Amino acid sequence: MRIRHRPWLSPPVVRARLQGERWLSRDELATAAGITRERLERLIHLGLVEPAGGGPEEFTAEALLRLQRMLRLNADLGVNLIGAAIIADLLERLDRLEAELARRRGSGP
Amino acid sequence: MAVKFRDYYEVLGVPRAAPAADIKRAYRQLARKHHPDLQPGAEREKAAERFKEINEAYEVLSDPDKRAKYDALGANWKSGMDFTPPPGAAGRGGEASSVEDFDEVSDFFASLFGRAGARAGRRGVRVTMPGHDVEAELPVTLDDLLRGGKRRIQIGEGKSLDVEIPPGVRDGVVLRLAGQGGPGTNGGPPGDAYLHVRLVPHPRYRVTGDDLEMDLTIWPWQAVLGAEVRVDTPDGAVTLTVPAGTQNARRLRLRGRGLPRADGTRGDLYAAVRIVVPERPSGAERDAYEALRRAAAAPADRPAGA
Repeated sequence: MRIRHRPWLSPPVVRARLQGERWLSRDELATAAGITRERLERLIHLGLVEPAGGGPEEFTAEALLRLQRMLRLNADLGVNLIGAAIIADLLERLDRLEAELARRRGSGP
Repeated sequence: MAVKFRDYYEVLGVPRAAPAADIKRAYRQLARKHHPDLQPGAEREKAAERFKEINEAYEVLSDPDKRAKYDALGANWKSGMDFTPPPGAAGRGGEASSVEDFDEVSDFFASLFGRAGARAGRRGVRVTMPGHDVEAELPVTLDDLLRGGKRRIQIGEGKSLDVEIPPGVRDGVVLRLAGQGGPGTNGGPPGDAYLHVRLVPHPRYRVTGDDLEMDLTIWPWQAVLGAEVRVDTPDGAVTLTVPAGTQNARRLRLRGRGLPRADGTRGDLYAAVRIVVPERPSGAERDAYEALRRAAAAPADRPAGA
């Protein structure tokens, strides 16, 4: 990935490849979420963070955003992590329903 | 340097004499109400601003030292008034702060407690801070899902990304671009960019998982007698066999003409049959339908199949 500065064409455009960016390892997930590997292991053990896809070392970016959201709710509102996981699940469901509603309103008769 | 005064008591909605317990309760209530994670997508950014204000107010009013310093300014200040800090107020290094977005404290906060002090964290040392993560929507078309594509999108201010959309992504998938977020502070690593894939609805095809669905309108006689019809698919026109006796809403499957999967196979395309009747039948057609009614075994004054 290379940042190309083109003074005559602001803003700068970054070329990005998405292939291979879809899965995170445990170490990458812990680093990106800003927690220790040990804390992540505990969360995985409790089933609050779940690997997806092919193997136990594979996490999606969705899982990372969900984990970050849980950690924010925990730090900002004092919700424990199990409660935060439940909130995260409900918020995801709400997002899906809102998207579905918008889709139906947009394309409906 | 004149900055705008901020009334932290007003932000939290408590009187100046409020005891610490009331301030905490007011903060908890407001934080719960305005937490960006709890807002619908469209209101998240606005809530984030408000949440920052609430946190900044709580940061000051929950800390006895900061609160005393703030109270010493007097009770005559109103929100938005031009404020010049008393000499020597700012810049005392090593002020403890739990305000998380150190870049985001107001100029007013910085003039009283110092921005550098806030940034330095609890031990009063220069800490490296990772850059902000940024999130953006990545609108994709059905064609992008089928064949991949390229899109230039804006993230944050003044930065755009040329993104190659890998074939096989789906609506709702989040793509992570490590290191493409905001720059770090004091040599900290840059944040990451998260792109939420949003499928722009296609006028013709609907997406369900790996499968596509389209409407197939046919005439009543095609449904009864069967027909070979030319239909457009994302791969081009194909001839589809409508079997004799096809009922309305039946889904005819075109195997392997859906979305590509990671393993190289593809989902299916379904043509949902919708029987339409001629609105203005010709004379000959009308005669044919009259003949059909006379020939029909079913009674004409009851619903079909009853």
